[in-house]
Amino acid sequence: MSFACPRTCVVAGLAALVSALPGCEREARRFDPVPIAPDARSRADALTSFAAGPPGRGMTERAAAGGYDERNAYVLAQGKRYYRWFNCTGCHAQGGGGSGPPLMDAGWIYGKTPGDVFTTIMDGRPNGMPAFRGRIPEEQAWQIAAYVRSLSGLVPDDAAPNRDDSLLGAPPENLREPARPEDKR
Amino acid sequence: MSDALDAAGPQAAWIARLWWISLWLCVAVFIGVMGALCWALWRSHRTAAAGGDAPARKDRALRILVGCATLLSSVLLVGLLEVSVLTDRALARLPGKDAVAIHVIAHQWWWEMVYQDPRADHVFSTANELVIPVGRPVVVTLEADDVIHSFWVPNLHGKKDLIPGRTSTIAFRADRPGRFVGRCAEFCGVQHAFMAYDVVAMPPDGYAAWVQHERSAAPEPQAAAAMRGRELFLTGSCMLCHAVQGTSAQGRRGPDLTHFASRAHIGAGSVANTPEALARWIEDPQKLKPGANMPSHFLPPADLAALVAYLETLT
Amino acid sequence: MSTHVQVMRYVRRLIAGVFLPATAAMAASGAGDWPTAAHDDAGTRFSPLAQITTANVATLRLSWSFSTSTDKGEEAAPIVADGTMFVVTSFPHRVLAFDLASPEHRLRWSFDPRPDPGARGVACCDVVNRGAAYADGRLFFCTLDDQVLALDARTGKELWRRKLGDYATGQSMTMAPLVVRDKVLVGNDGDAFGVRGFIAALDAATGQERWRAYSTGPDADVRIGSAFKPFYASDRGTDLGVATWPPEAWKIGGGSVGGWLSYDAQLDLLYHGTGSPAPGNPVQRPGANKWTSALFARHPDAGDAAWAYQTSPHDRHGYDGSNESVLVDLPIGGQPRHVLLHPDRNGYLYVIDRATGEVLSADAYALVTTAHGVDPATGAMRSEPSKEPAIDRVVREICPGSAGAKNWQPSAWSPRTRLLYLPHQNLCEDATAFEVSHIGGTPYIGMEAKMHAPPGAWRGVLTAWDPVGRRKAWTLEEPFPIWSGALATAGDLVFYGTMDGWFKAVDARTGRALWKFRTASGIVGQPIAFSGGDGHEYVAVLAGVGGWAGLVVSNDLDTRDGTAARGFVAAMKDLPAATSRGGMLYVFRLP
Repeated sequence: MSFACPRTCVVAGLAALVSALPGCEREARRFDPVPIAPDARSRADALTSFAAGPPGRGMTERAAAGGYDERNAYVLAQGKRYYRWFNCTGCHAQGGGGSGPPLMDAGWIYGKTPGDVFTTIMDGRPNGMPAFRGRIPEEQAWQIAAYVRSLSGLVPDDAAPNRDDSLLGAPPENLREPARPEDKR
Repeated sequence: MSDALDAAGPQAAWIARLWWISLWLCVAVFIGVMGALCWALWRSHRTAAAGGDAPARKDRALRILVGCATLLSSVLLVGLLEVSVLTDRALARLPGKDAVAIHVIAHQWWWEMVYQDPRADHVFSTANELVIPVGRPVVVTLEADDVIHSFWVPNLHGKKDLIPGRTSTIAFRADRPGRFVGRCAEFCGVQHAFMAYDVVAMPPDGYAAWVQHERSAAPEPQAAAAMRGRELFLTGSCMLCHAVQGTSAQGRRGPDLTHFASRAHIGAGSVANTPEALARWIEDPQKLKPGANMPSHFLPPADLAALVAYLETLT
Repeated sequence: MSTHVQVMRYVRRLIAGVFLPATAAMAASGAGDWPTAAHDDAGTRFSPLAQITTANVATLRLSWSFSTSTDKGEEAAPIVADGTMFVVTSFPHRVLAFDLASPEHRLRWSFDPRPDPGARGVACCDVVNRGAAYADGRLFFCTLDDQVLALDARTGKELWRRKLGDYATGQSMTMAPLVVRDKVLVGNDGDAFGVRGFIAALDAATGQERWRAYSTGPDADVRIGSAFKPFYASDRGTDLGVATWPPEAWKIGGGSVGGWLSYDAQLDLLYHGTGSPAPGNPVQRPGANKWTSALFARHPDAGDAAWAYQTSPHDRHGYDGSNESVLVDLPIGGQPRHVLLHPDRNGYLYVIDRATGEVLSADAYALVTTAHGVDPATGAMRSEPSKEPAIDRVVREICPGSAGAKNWQPSAWSPRTRLLYLPHQNLCEDATAFEVSHIGGTPYIGMEAKMHAPPGAWRGVLTAWDPVGRRKAWTLEEPFPIWSGALATAGDLVFYGTMDGWFKAVDARTGRALWKFRTASGIVGQPIAFSGGDGHEYVAVLAGVGGWAGLVVSNDLDTRDGTAARGFVAAMKDLPAATSRGGMLYVFRLP
């Protein structure tokens, strides 16, 4: 068989390469801590799609500056790792709750924007959520906040973690649609 | 050093012996085959130049030669098989009397060693360092916390995988004192290359003293800087992952630091354990070991110095 | 003592003389009262009142009710003393005092201890309170944020309050105190957070802490001294509370004393259990882990231990030893013995000589796959190795699960039928272990589980146990775990409540259902019987679903995650359809 049609092959190869590029974003791993950018406002514009209400205390800008990125699979996987390491599962289980409220349902007592969840983790809340400021570094807290949002299906499916090796409690995060109030019963 | 041919114990010695036998056998076979190839090329050149066909007598001689070569190959292969079986049997028959029992758990990308003892209050943990007595067998039970890793101390034994959800065992013995290097031998993620541990074989007295010391809790810091460092350790993020016995820090997700200052390396063989390297490591481990699960901490210089001072007291 | 009180006492004694048979020596202040959650120091939960009987209970009707204004689990026993009923609600632990003499049962006073809402984050098993204790005109109770309070029972004025710890460490308090002479005995909660357990004695008049005995650590901390004479050899030694742990692990070792206390005045011995060791993951804490999951007998004056016995050495499944010990005198082997009956979480009902700590019998009252009984020679529990939790591996059919064969819900003893009535559950679990860091104020468990009923069994069961015959006399099954306490009366009735809101009375001898009443919310409280000032016998119970079993409703959990509430949600996915939240006091009497 002779290997003809070089031009077609080149075109096909380029097409495959171009279509694979978006996957880089999902897989990119940034290990250097993100410095606070001076022009945070311009990056904030890209993140307004999920803000349900007013961001609160400039948290959208803070989210951008802190490098919040819920489209990155590594960020969500690390968030899942730290969610278990720092004993979040003890009160919130795999999102179903326990002595703490559920995180996988549509009810958010203190808000579901990344900034709200970050504030909940860092500053605690009045009815028993401990404050982790000064303990969990900010970058890791953003990762955990992203993972917490994935528990109720608020992050892109291709970035959300899938079935882990533990006892299966709730469906894998990448199979969860954005939660609705009628889902939990 | 980590040299599989520099055997420091009987397991590695057996493996090295098998290797040398295989090597020389294969060298001999290689020379023989190459020699036969060269002779065949020279012969065919001469036969073609002579333009004739080979007489029947030479044909029969050729058949005998090939038959003998085949027979010899089979004998050599069977011989190799027997040597291999004997080696395996010897590896499995390490005398286990008076063995030291150590439980090793591999994490991404560090090693946890838990020294076992029938008395619960004599059990202790250390990390990235395996200290063993000379002349006593060591039985290591192997578990993995996350993905498949592999335990390999070339000077002492071959590789053994640590598979999540399973427990496996490896037994070896060091017959001379020395400092060896162990490595992870199964690709386990972005920092697989920097997942080494020091294996230190000590004479029995030294080992007993080391064990006694490891069982003790961390001493109280005396200097003001070290006391400030401890305060930072216990009120900051260190206690989330690390443990120092004798304090309220009881994290299990990072190496136990109770006797950290006596270890040779930081970060599972990433850098040598010196105060300067320690400061660089605490400030930004991602620069030295990108992808490690320890986050960066940009502390004020005075706080960083205090923390380093405290960690240096943990001998 | 005021004229009013004197008159009430005379009236009560008159009623007692006319209606009641002679009761055991361990009776409460007035025979128709209910001064502590367990009714008496022996912990019998037996009411000597016999006006309501098997013949007439079918006509029992609601007399009055009162909303608690709270919507979490109501686990308390109403306390009746001095013509008043005292109810402690779930968080924020309002104390309601009802005047039983007034026809409308008006509130005489109410008291708000104003506990710190942050403590709600360290309540393992809902923000419950198990009741107050009345003695000498004072009312004692605990709050979730580690305070013990004493109120003047007449006026509701605060006499003293004492803080016994900091909830930021994970410690809380939910138990019902016991008063012995001049001391109030209380214990803490927090095994799930790695809090070191203890029992403390406070001076009843001033609240000063007289002594505190820890459940782990050196003998001096555990108050083990020269008077300590454990029956079994494995419990003898020096500083076993340190030697049976990895170094330093006993400081975060659990063993909370959050359960029931009982007291024998003749032997002068106080009996209590200690909770399970921390972390729940047993791989992290090799050793017997003394003195967690154990029973103690102590002298109440100084707290020094007389004997101790570990029901679950190196506990692997969360089997607290803190269930009740009911003190009874029984003929065992032809001889009258002073024993305690202890239905442990590990599924065995222990009959133990309460003077020496010798185990006379230990029989399984529920399905047990985790052990093969107690070795009579050594007292050791023979654990089943295949049910040992492992990291990164799932162990299935662990029976009983971590909720135990019976949890906190207390049993009742009838001296008339000689049966112990156990409200409990049939729940097994699948579990896996993982390494857990101790981070102060966060859960220190290291286990993930999902519970389920064993095949063919119902989740709830009321067992009538014959401790002399060592067998079940009868059982009743319920669709949901029975998370309420039991009440036995001299009318040969047993009362209990179900999680879907049925308050039931059954025949104490046969278990035949005789009466039931549908309450507005599931019942996890402790029923009591008392005589009102009007010659009537009343039965009272708090409804308000919650507790660990009811967290799926009281905390509105998501049923799609079976591991929620430490595995309980997997077994309770149908509870939200059967009941809803809301605390309510119900009081019943005959027409």
